[in-house]
Amino acid sequence: MIQITDLEKFYKTEEVQTIALNKLSFEVKNGEFVAIMGPSGCGKSTLLNIIGLLDDPDGGSFQFNGEEVSNYNERKRSELRKHNVGFVFQSFNLIDELTVFENVELPLIYTGVKPAERKKRVEEVLEKMQIMHRRNHFPQQLSGGQQQRVAVARAVVNNPKLILADEPTGNLDSTNGNEVMDLLIDLNEAGTTIIMVTHSEHDAKYSHRIIRMLDGQKVTENILV
Amino acid sequence: MIKNYFKIAFRNLLKNKVYSLINISGLAIGMAATMLIGLWIFDELNYNNYFKDKATIAQVFQHESANNIVDTGPAIPRPLEFALREDHADNFKHIIMASWEQPRYLKHGETNINRLGHAIQEGATEMLNLEVVEGVRDGLKEKNSIMISKSTSASLFGSETAIGKIIKVNNQHDLVVTGVYNDIPENNSFSDVDYLIPWKHYISSQEWIENAKTSWGNNSFQMFAQINDNTTMEAVTSKIIDVKKNASPEEAEFNPQIFLFPMDDWHLRSDFENGVQSGGRIENVWLFGVIGIFILLLACINFVNLSTARSEKRATEVGIRKSIGSHRGQLIFQFLTESFSIVLLAFVVAIGIVLISLNGFNNLASKAIIFPWSNGMFWLASLLFILITSVLSGSYPALYLSSFNPVSVLKGTFKAGRYSSLPRKVLVVTQFTVSIALIIGTLVVINQIQFSKDRPVGYNRDGLIQIPVMSSEFIGKHETMRTQFVASGGAISMTTMSGPATQVWSNRSGYTWEGKPVGFQEDLAHTSVNYDFVKTLGLKLVEGRGFSRDFPTDSNAVILNSTAVKYMGIKDPIGKYIRDSDVDDPFTPLKIIGVIDDMIVQSPYSPVKQSMYVFEKYGNIAFYDLRLNPAKSTSENLALIESVFKKNFPNTPFDYQFVDEEFGKKFRAEERIASLARVFTLLAIFISCLGLFGLASFVAEQRTKEIGVRKVLGASISQLWMLLSKDFIKLVVVALLIASPVAYYIMGQWLQKFSYRTSVTWDVIAIACFGALIITLITVSFQAIKAATSNPVKSLRTE
Repeated sequence: MIQITDLEKFYKTEEVQTIALNKLSFEVKNGEFVAIMGPSGCGKSTLLNIIGLLDDPDGGSFQFNGEEVSNYNERKRSELRKHNVGFVFQSFNLIDELTVFENVELPLIYTGVKPAERKKRVEEVLEKMQIMHRRNHFPQQLSGGQQQRVAVARAVVNNPKLILADEPTGNLDSTNGNEVMDLLIDLNEAGTTIIMVTHSEHDAKYSHRIIRMLDGQKVTENILV
Repeated sequence: MIKNYFKIAFRNLLKNKVYSLINISGLAIGMAATMLIGLWIFDELNYNNYFKDKATIAQVFQHESANNIVDTGPAIPRPLEFALREDHADNFKHIIMASWEQPRYLKHGETNINRLGHAIQEGATEMLNLEVVEGVRDGLKEKNSIMISKSTSASLFGSETAIGKIIKVNNQHDLVVTGVYNDIPENNSFSDVDYLIPWKHYISSQEWIENAKTSWGNNSFQMFAQINDNTTMEAVTSKIIDVKKNASPEEAEFNPQIFLFPMDDWHLRSDFENGVQSGGRIENVWLFGVIGIFILLLACINFVNLSTARSEKRATEVGIRKSIGSHRGQLIFQFLTESFSIVLLAFVVAIGIVLISLNGFNNLASKAIIFPWSNGMFWLASLLFILITSVLSGSYPALYLSSFNPVSVLKGTFKAGRYSSLPRKVLVVTQFTVSIALIIGTLVVINQIQFSKDRPVGYNRDGLIQIPVMSSEFIGKHETMRTQFVASGGAISMTTMSGPATQVWSNRSGYTWEGKPVGFQEDLAHTSVNYDFVKTLGLKLVEGRGFSRDFPTDSNAVILNSTAVKYMGIKDPIGKYIRDSDVDDPFTPLKIIGVIDDMIVQSPYSPVKQSMYVFEKYGNIAFYDLRLNPAKSTSENLALIESVFKKNFPNTPFDYQFVDEEFGKKFRAEERIASLARVFTLLAIFISCLGLFGLASFVAEQRTKEIGVRKVLGASISQLWMLLSKDFIKLVVVALLIASPVAYYIMGQWLQKFSYRTSVTWDVIAIACFGALIITLITVSFQAIKAATSNPVKSLRTE
């Protein structure tokens, strides 16, 4: 599904150039659950942003389903993203002004799904995430775990082929964290590819493969399953 | 999708109530002001729309030159009518002679009312498309007929029909009502005309009018015309331009040029400068149009500034939306939808403000504007107005907010760039530049009016009244009346005048005098006055004396004003004579017996015209001028004068005018501009301060932690107040530096149109600058002091 070859990304300030990704190469197959680990600043999140088509690489190749996407313009990237990729963030990133239902509905609006179908699909996914009873609440009325469940619901409502999770349990206690990991496992078992950035060895063990990074490069790769 | 956008917009409004209030109220006030100005402009541009044939109707004007100065006006001689009918009739649908609008007493039974009207030729009813509701349309055919407006009919006859009834005009002529027409609505020429009497009646009523039939030099009439559909005003003008010059060799020396002045131009483009059309009220339309746009811009700037200042609060949402598939165009559309919904809300509030303030605005602008509920064009224009305001206020925030990089936003590392506040600063400077320029402009207009009011008028306006006595029943009675008025104790002196003390009704030429330069074409204001003229008006004699009963020869005497002496170049004028240049039929020479200090009769902004005051001897009396008794109250004096008047003229209503009030009317146009400018300036300042208040509270909120740390480290409240206020003060100082020279230049140009004018003085600019700084300080200090006095522990803990 994802083929990354010699991927490079630099950050420049007035005086210094920092290398975030240094000729990084790896592959992710359909249905895999890959965890990416490494110390802060090693380039994990940068990699996730590039895979999520939120950021451009400065060099190398990035193929998505066999197609080179590193040179896509903004509109094409957003098209590809909204049909194929779901995001789960550490800080949930729900829109405060929208209710649980409306937050989850948002990706369907952008993909042009009709209102009746939207309602059906949002309710299904909320049931699945066991958050249906909170459908009319606003994010600030929910606990952290509940907010992350809403975020996962929003990420999966469009049935994306790929879910990118950036420290999905980073802001949660262990009970809520485990619940979220269980949700991700369920999704993966249902066929969704997951790439997760994490600092937690515990969470990483849920994955099939752990890629460890340092200074923008892959240092080791452990296959768990 | 749009529903979702509206939902977000609405919830954002509720969430940030203070900012929403500032945004909506600022926009609503701005939009209301712009709408009022828009309605005013619409009203001005639609002047005379009542007349269906407006495009083909004109008034016949003429240019005349004397001493290389071209004078333009509507006064024309009677023979012009015959010349046009004879040689140019094929160009016209109507040629209509008319008298000047004049007040006359209309009496039926015991009811006696004073109304304005014209003597006019019979085609007028058709040309003006008068809506005749009773009687006949050609009701001016018979010499002794009269047509009246519906309101006049109601005043005289109540609900009874007026047709066939007799009205006694000026206690003199019995005229039969032949037609009643709907009153011509406000905002149209002739709207104050309440009766029309036949031209035939008018020309037979006074000898001088009959005699004027052949006189090309007697410009005492006016003429209206409607051209044929297959021609143009310019084409007809080119044919008739030299009619007078060719017909009268004596008049040819003044190079008279006859032209059609289209009805389309009567209201807005009525000024002429040395023979060239030079604008008029259209300048006010432009002026207020520009002010309206500026006020709307100021309100939009508030919206832009507050939206972009609070951008960090919206950044997360932008990041999330982008990450789940929204592209930039959709975000731009979303933010524009938000601004549209806020503008729509503001528009509804603005309509409320307009409805509440329309009466006051009408009083201020001297208008009768009605809110155009049923006018489709108005609502279409409103929709356009809402869209334009939405785009003006929403496009920059939309472009700015939608440009955020989702990666940095979602990472939480997003910070607005170092220069991100620059556009906001530029916009605040723009707001204050406009506001300060408006303050300076308004102060200059007010100063100019005061400067002209303070100008010595040359006579004593206070306690001076004039009673109109134009009907024939007053003829020959002025001496008796004078004796009785003075004896009553209500007045200490009385004179008569052939025109009001505040207008020139007659200009004359055709004189010679010792030392008159060869080829000099004089033009003198001419007023017939009586004994006690100098005393009653409180004039200042420069030399000589006033008219006196002790000198029987004073019936052939004249008094000049100082300007006339200079203008005519007469040295040692007392005792010298002014003669008639017509050697075949000369009048008795007039002996100069006195010179008075210049008396301002016409515009207080212009130089005083050269004037001669001759002794009245032909019954040419239009007003009794009375000096009230200073030992009594005005009401006592008026009661005494009225009783004398009523005793002598029991059937005539007692009308009088205070000369100081009549003089005050000369300032009305400028005072109206000043009042409107004052209101709009206050609105501009208010809107700008509202925006500043919003920004100040935003800055205070943004710097809460910094303020906390500084307080912990020992900063005093005044130091923190300075810290938070100085940035805004700097912006206002920049605005002052831009606005002052711009306003100085523009107002300097505006003042050029007045001969007697003040200048843009530095104290005006200093007052504006000082005022702007004080207002700014007050506005930002509230937030600054609030932030500076807050508990630092609280602000640090929230971190």
